[in-house]
Amino acid sequence: MKKQSAAPTESLTDQNAVQLACNGNAEAFSYLYEQNVKRIYNYIFYRIGAEADAEDLTARVFHRAFAHINSYVEKGVPFTAWLYRIAHNLTANWYRDNHRRREVSLDDHFDLPHLSDLPERTIEMNQEKELLLKAIRRLPADRQQLILLKFLEDLSNGQIAIIMGRTEGAIKSLYHRSLISLREELKRISGVETSDFR
Amino acid sequence: MEHGLEQNGRPGLWGLEQKLSNLLKPVTPDPEFVDSLKMKLTRAPAVLVETSRRKMGLLVVSCGLFAGAFLVWLLRKRWQ
Repeated sequence: MKKQSAAPTESLTDQNAVQLACNGNAEAFSYLYEQNVKRIYNYIFYRIGAEADAEDLTARVFHRAFAHINSYVEKGVPFTAWLYRIAHNLTANWYRDNHRRREVSLDDHFDLPHLSDLPERTIEMNQEKELLLKAIRRLPADRQQLILLKFLEDLSNGQIAIIMGRTEGAIKSLYHRSLISLREELKRISGVETSDFR
Repeated sequence: MEHGLEQNGRPGLWGLEQKLSNLLKPVTPDPEFVDSLKMKLTRAPAVLVETSRRKMGLLVVSCGLFAGAFLVWLLRKRWQ
């Protein structure tokens, strides 16, 4: 694939940007990257909870996507959905390769001031968030994916169905099961953490 | 947001949905990382090294198959 340095890209949309990117248009690559980098980073970051690894995996997602952009066209799903699938697969590989899952405290990667400097409500919310993320990461990969796409990206069941390669009905039912298992995990973790203080 | 569970039917899960909505907020990646990755992606030399590797792989496999078939043919001829 030869890369063209510049081409008329006045009205880039996802569709024509992909076509231009297939022809090696650097500006189209930039457009697709800018449109998607934050959401892919967020998805990976919330899945694995470590900033450096999230950056590394985000870079891999885009390298892989741009290296195989010609194969994307044949599959007929939105470009963002295709990126999410790559991100999901690479995250699964990351978990497989890192047997010892690191559970990093939120304080490590959200630039939070020292706990004593925070108002009580903020401390409470951070602890609640940490607990919630811990519970989410204990769910099976497809349930984690569904919850993050729904709440972080605010996607509809139809959009999630396209990304996950399932029917809308299947997503609806998986969503319900995911919430139930998340509630169970939260109960379990809260129980363990409470008993630690006894 | 299209959440499937109403407050009336399942208050416990509805509360959980509210909690998820309130706590899961997007984070901003380090701008330095975003810019440097963009530079790498748009400046990197053309990518399709894998295509030539695939062709090479096919060539090696084809040669192997041909050599194997030739050997079998040769051995059969000798035994006859």
